[in-house]
Amino acid sequence: MGSLLHIAPRSGRLPGRRVLLKAGRMTMGARILVVDDDPDMVEATTIILKSKGYDVSAAFGGIEGLEKAKAERPALIVLDVMMPDKDGYEVCKELKADPALCDIPVLLLTAVVSHISTTRYSHRMGMETEADDYVDKPVEPAELVKRIETLLSRQ
Amino acid sequence: MPGQHKILVIDDEQLMRDGCERILSKNGLSVIQAENGEAGLAVLDKAPDEIDLILLDLMMPGMSGFEVLEKIRTLDEDLLVIVVTGYATVESAVEAMKKGAYDFIAKPFTPDQLRIVVKRALERRQLQREADFLRLERERSLRDVATEKSRVKTIINCIGDGMIVCDRDSCVVLANPAASRMLAIPETHLLGKFVSQSGLPGELSKTMEESLRAGDSPYTSISQELAVGGKQEIFLRAHTAPVRNDLGEIMGVVTVLQDISYLKELDKMKSEFIAMVAHELRAPIATVEQQLAVILGNMAGELNEKQEQLIARAKERTKGLLVLIKDLLDLSKIEAGKMIQYREPMSLAEVIPRVVEVMKADAAQKDIEIAFVPPPTNSIIHADRNSMEAVFNNLISNAIKFTPAGGQITISLGEQTGFVKAIVTDTGIGIKSEDIPRIFDKFYRVKSSATRQIVGTGLGLSIVKNIVEAHHGSISVQSEEGKGTTFSVLLPKEAAPAGCAENGWDS
Repeated sequence: MGSLLHIAPRSGRLPGRRVLLKAGRMTMGARILVVDDDPDMVEATTIILKSKGYDVSAAFGGIEGLEKAKAERPALIVLDVMMPDKDGYEVCKELKADPALCDIPVLLLTAVVSHISTTRYSHRMGMETEADDYVDKPVEPAELVKRIETLLSRQ
Repeated sequence: MPGQHKILVIDDEQLMRDGCERILSKNGLSVIQAENGEAGLAVLDKAPDEIDLILLDLMMPGMSGFEVLEKIRTLDEDLLVIVVTGYATVESAVEAMKKGAYDFIAKPFTPDQLRIVVKRALERRQLQREADFLRLERERSLRDVATEKSRVKTIINCIGDGMIVCDRDSCVVLANPAASRMLAIPETHLLGKFVSQSGLPGELSKTMEESLRAGDSPYTSISQELAVGGKQEIFLRAHTAPVRNDLGEIMGVVTVLQDISYLKELDKMKSEFIAMVAHELRAPIATVEQQLAVILGNMAGELNEKQEQLIARAKERTKGLLVLIKDLLDLSKIEAGKMIQYREPMSLAEVIPRVVEVMKADAAQKDIEIAFVPPPTNSIIHADRNSMEAVFNNLISNAIKFTPAGGQITISLGEQTGFVKAIVTDTGIGIKSEDIPRIFDKFYRVKSSATRQIVGTGLGLSIVKNIVEAHHGSISVQSEEGKGTTFSVLLPKEAAPAGCAENGWDS
């Protein structure tokens, strides 16, 4: 069959961003802020994160999310894109523009696109927003946890 | 001769009248007798159209033959009169002829002489009638042509579709009010102007001029969509075709314009509706699937085996719904022309591995090996990245679906005269030859015992074909039942070779 190229695992990170893996760093117990206007989604995400020992705080809209981010300075923010009051891109932009908050990693949660079109966002939105990673809703719990661990271990 | 001719015999002599009747009725003619001028005129008065010929004795007591002749002439100048002269004087015969008699016969005459004279007169009468008929017919036709012209003009002026006709010198010779309204150009500005100088939209005047030069080429009509500006933009569909004469020479060009703004509007509404419904459906279904994932992960309490089985099935169903919604969204985007917006130089050699990577988990679940054979040269195409990903995502996920456990999927890239060729081959169940022509149809799904368990929307290959064709490429399929299937995608190579390695995906 000739030489076959087997593909290296994909990483969701953005071009140019350095990956600093600090092996063995404890991420358990870190506070994660979940921002989503859908309370059922917030609950499901919260259950997943709590099951891994994270301390979870919830906000049910973009504006509330920004307030809580300022007040609580979480270790990471899981941010929904489609929210009526202020969408995820806008929230992310404001977070990254704030020197006090810009180092908090943001995991963008989108229900807009399917798994394959994720790259549409990596390409179009990822460049425009400064989210650190993105994942489609719904997400396999294990995948969500993996992404969060990766982001936290970069810090 | 058609019908039975009627002959009126006006003579004061009973013997003469009876003699004529006897002779003529042998020839199938019908004779009406009148014993003097008054009686003869009375017959004519009663039924002027029924008499074909009159035999008139010149010498009668009372009203003379000449008087009767004059009266007959005023009654109907087309009526044929043969005068019968008692003493054959040429003078009276000539005078009668001058007064309008058609012929004369001198007494005494033989039956044959009478027959000949009558026969000639009747033939003349027949010719006259036919001539009259033809004259009337011609007048009517001329009137019809005139009416037809104005009728066609009225129709053209009244129809809702716009119509523009130009002659072989590309000079506008007809433009109806609808055309001038649609194009917002006054009729007077169009008529008599050259197509190129009449203010018609550039694409349209170009098409009309091209149609004039169509020559013998068999192409019949060109259809194009135009967006016409102004305060409110309207969309027109223009059908343009050359007008040919009997010899097939092009005499001019006709363009028919249809206002399709409302269709465009409907189409947009349809796409927006589908997109809206899909988005609205997607969010709650995504949430439900997320909740099921939490339950299935035993994060909301331990599940027993039956519960786990049921929830797993439920999650499969929501997954299927999400794929359907994604396909509907993709299709509505393609149909709205929104899917392929960002074309850029790119290489499939970097797109395909990314798609393969995403699909690997699904393949591994079925113990299927996916391999990508890198191309010998890195060819560049001009394409929309997301669309290309959708193409290979659909092809590869199909291959996974229709390949039994332990199978093999190979994707290779190569070139074929100006095209980049991507081949997706699987060792799957294959496609029946009768199903092959329909697999690219919207919502078509191959139904068999082997495919019953496979979920899908029937939209995937339709999306693939749409995208490939929108990129001026083509897709073909070869399959052998039970052996496997090969899809070949051809996409035009970008002319200028460019390095595409530093596109940002490989670090």
